[in-house]
Amino acid sequence: MGEQWRLFRHEGVSVPTAEGLALDDTLPWAVVNQSSPPILHLYNFVPSAIVGKYQDIEAALRLDRCRARGIEYNRRSTGGGTVIMGPTVVALGLGINVDYPGLKKGIGGVFESLASVLISSMETLGVNAGFRPKNDIEVGGRKLAGLSAASEEGRALLFHTSLLVDFDVDLMTDIMNAPVIKLQDKGYNCFSQRMTTINELAGRAVPMSEVMDAIQASFENEFKISFRPDRPNEKELEALEGFIKNRYTKTEWIFSNRHPRTRMGVGQLKTPGGLLEVYLSLSGSSIENLMITGDFFSTTEYINLLENTLKWTSAHKESIIANLEAVWKEGAIHGVSMDALVDAILKAKEGQVRL
Amino acid sequence: MADIKGYNMPDELYYHKENSWARVEGTKVTVGMTDLFQKEAGDIVFVDLPDEGDDVSQGEVCGKIQSRKWIGKLVSPVSGEIVETNEDLDDDTGLINQDPYGKGWILKIEASDLESELANLMQGQALVAFVEAEIKRSEEEKAKAK
Repeated sequence: MGEQWRLFRHEGVSVPTAEGLALDDTLPWAVVNQSSPPILHLYNFVPSAIVGKYQDIEAALRLDRCRARGIEYNRRSTGGGTVIMGPTVVALGLGINVDYPGLKKGIGGVFESLASVLISSMETLGVNAGFRPKNDIEVGGRKLAGLSAASEEGRALLFHTSLLVDFDVDLMTDIMNAPVIKLQDKGYNCFSQRMTTINELAGRAVPMSEVMDAIQASFENEFKISFRPDRPNEKELEALEGFIKNRYTKTEWIFSNRHPRTRMGVGQLKTPGGLLEVYLSLSGSSIENLMITGDFFSTTEYINLLENTLKWTSAHKESIIANLEAVWKEGAIHGVSMDALVDAILKAKEGQVRL
Repeated sequence: MADIKGYNMPDELYYHKENSWARVEGTKVTVGMTDLFQKEAGDIVFVDLPDEGDDVSQGEVCGKIQSRKWIGKLVSPVSGEIVETNEDLDDDTGLINQDPYGKGWILKIEASDLESELANLMQGQALVAFVEAEIKRSEEEKAKAK
């Protein structure tokens, strides 16, 4: 075995959002400032909703419902959208140098490398997952985990993901604001078509410890390393306390205004294939989220691919067309042309309102 | 205009190894991200900029750039005071992808120590060698993965 990485693993205890996120931020800090080897942090949060660094939290969440249910909310330091965390969702933080041997280069490369580790860990649990470029792990077109990252001090990188072992769909629909709630109001079972869990795929209740063991083993195999169970040292605890104090318990961080305000719109279009509906969330000039639905015929996998292709990309017409052209298969949505889909998206964009 | 292995890297600019560029006009320096960066990153969806009046040092992280779910760094190529930020990016961060050296500029700095700091930035053969090394490293990693 090669180098020993450090392992911070919390089991049997749910971690408050401020503590968990602060410890994650301490990982790349330790890699840079303590010359630490890479550190893997495996844990689970208390029931909570965590938004991406530049998301509009008041648009993403129904904060009154979070408070009423006792659901914590916070903002992480990596990109991407809202995640609902809790006792049956494995949270993973990794602090590593971007030049670490075996880690592929570039933004796409890093996501691919780490997705590959998680996919092989799923295999040991009997789940045949795949990487959906550029950021997701999926099974049959349904999302099992999303990956996000941030370049930190020096060459250090913080990588985040969460793996759904089991999931409370009712909770999610109650506390999230857009655009899924609109679909829920209309009675669509949108989550089950777009997301899945390890328990569902494995056909049994998989213990959290088994998932964490599988992830650890997969990192060891992929990077030819071993893990040393460890805790933060004194300096790292100081850094951690600083992150708790200055970020994760601070209103200015949680309600940060350094983001564009989110807007949402709905576009409807009658096509030869049936009614086409697009629910769109826009953040500045970018598509934060969209859902394509209606009474046309297609596969869940293909619709999810189209949605995923457009998430976190530019909302300009030229960009929408270019991104769709890369994955468009004529006839894959019976009776719906690419032009019609672009028109429906643009109609949703025209009708956008502040949530 | 220089094409290095398919990347547009204009001759007249100075380049930092963290992929920011500097256009020098007197003591005023316009800063942006390179074609190499924007092609690798893909669609830029958010830019978090410093405030006008802030002081920055050469090599300091002075902003953040999000592409998809990755948050990357904007590293200042020179020291000085931020005198202007590109407000057009508020409406369209895609300008960094569409026109990285023109409408996609990010900020302007009144430089404080230009003479000595330009020597730390890349141009000419040093830039060609840097871009080729980055591409080679990426290709080697892809080959290893096969």
